[in-house]
Amino acid sequence: MKSIINLFMLIFFLHVGEVYAQTLYGTTLGEVSLYSDTPIETIQAVNKKSGAILNSSNRELVVQMKITDFVFPNKLMQEHFNENYMESERYPTATFKGKIKEQVDLETPGTYPVTAEGSLTIHGVSKPVTVKGQVVSNGTELKLDFKFQVKPEEYQIEIPSLVITKIAELIDISGKMSLAKR
Amino acid sequence: MRTIASFRKTLQAILILGFLGVFGLTKAKAQDDLLSILNEEQSKEPVYTMATFKASRLINGQSIETISKNHLNFWISHRFGAVNSGFVANFFGLDEAKIRLGLEYGLTDQWLIGAGRSSLDKTYDVYTKYKLFRQSNKFPVTVTGLAGWAINTMETGFAMQSGSEMRFNSNLERYSYWGQTLIARKVNEKLSFQVMPTFLHYNKVEDPSLANDLWALGVGGRYKLTKRFTLSGEYYHSFTDPGIYEATTGKSYPYHDAISIGVDIETGGHVFQLHFTNSRGMIENQFIGQTVGAWEKGDIFYGFNIARTFSFDKGAKHKDK
Repeated sequence: MKSIINLFMLIFFLHVGEVYAQTLYGTTLGEVSLYSDTPIETIQAVNKKSGAILNSSNRELVVQMKITDFVFPNKLMQEHFNENYMESERYPTATFKGKIKEQVDLETPGTYPVTAEGSLTIHGVSKPVTVKGQVVSNGTELKLDFKFQVKPEEYQIEIPSLVITKIAELIDISGKMSLAKR
Repeated sequence: MRTIASFRKTLQAILILGFLGVFGLTKAKAQDDLLSILNEEQSKEPVYTMATFKASRLINGQSIETISKNHLNFWISHRFGAVNSGFVANFFGLDEAKIRLGLEYGLTDQWLIGAGRSSLDKTYDVYTKYKLFRQSNKFPVTVTGLAGWAINTMETGFAMQSGSEMRFNSNLERYSYWGQTLIARKVNEKLSFQVMPTFLHYNKVEDPSLANDLWALGVGGRYKLTKRFTLSGEYYHSFTDPGIYEATTGKSYPYHDAISIGVDIETGGHVFQLHFTNSRGMIENQFIGQTVGAWEKGDIFYGFNIARTFSFDKGAKHKDK
């Protein structure tokens, strides 16, 4: 009977330990930019209110942003982006849920090239993605940098033939965020 | 003894499995937990509703929309002749048109100034519009205030649309003023409604039995049929008392409520508004207070507004040409 209790305690503490030992790093002011370039038009926008949370103990990472927080220099473009393409009233956010693949201890200061694997949800459509990036850690702050490409077609974002020459087939997405220990 | 030992083992196994199960569940849920933490942090800021209407004008009148800071709108508006004016005589009204050219500029994202010139009664107008409240997930409507002024530059003694003669004794008499509160709600991504309580003042009216001050209430709305094609409608009711005019002049009251229906077509930087209306005036003092056409008599005018938006914001690059 004693051994059962021991086992019980062990599992209990392991379990509780797993929950409480986690160190979270997060931000709500991350920058995510999108860039589309064709010979006719260059379109760029930046979202400076992107949120991210990383659990350093299991390296799980969630990034989420409101589509309406993307700021375009041309406000008409911004309106069209929300109204006609992203349908942000119906699909208000873009979300990445995943995990950093490499077994790195991000609490140890250093620069780590990393790969995040997970699912990306845009315009209500979820797709598995692999994103390459870099984490620079100083122990209390993680600087995340990443870059990847998105094909609007894959996320069922319709682009009418009238403007097809103005919008790139592949949109560059890049991000820069400082996640503070909490 | 043996049974007790095996019972113990079974219990042990069940406990282990049970805890592993809970343990596993937490693992799988961890990403969603992170997401819910994020959701909580991000939900504090209100999400403002955008694009309640496609343009800063509904049809003849204004909408709650202002234009963004450092953006310029160029408006070209036409109201052709009456569609019942005949094929040979007037090509269903397309032989002639009243034209208004207008510019409006966004001082801030909530505040715009505008000016225009209309060939109807050779009138210049200036106005300013300010978005006081914005609809968001925390506030139900957008409220915009409008104030405008117009000057009629026709020669004194000209014949008005109503047929009456208008005499000006001083330049001050050429002025009209109006104020409007525009209240709109975007019900869903397709449907938006707007009400517009309006006050108008004419420094001079053609007949003393007509009121210089006029209260009116407008209602309007839009319904998006597709992403770029929208149905719109607008109705302005004036609270007038035709009795005094009819009793003193013996003529029937010359003015009617303005009713307009139309469509908005959006293509990139342009918005095309095509409509049928009983008003040829495109300025508040003309279409709210002095609409002479009546739908029931077939005084219907085909018209269009074209809006072109230019951005003067830094960083806005245009490679078109």
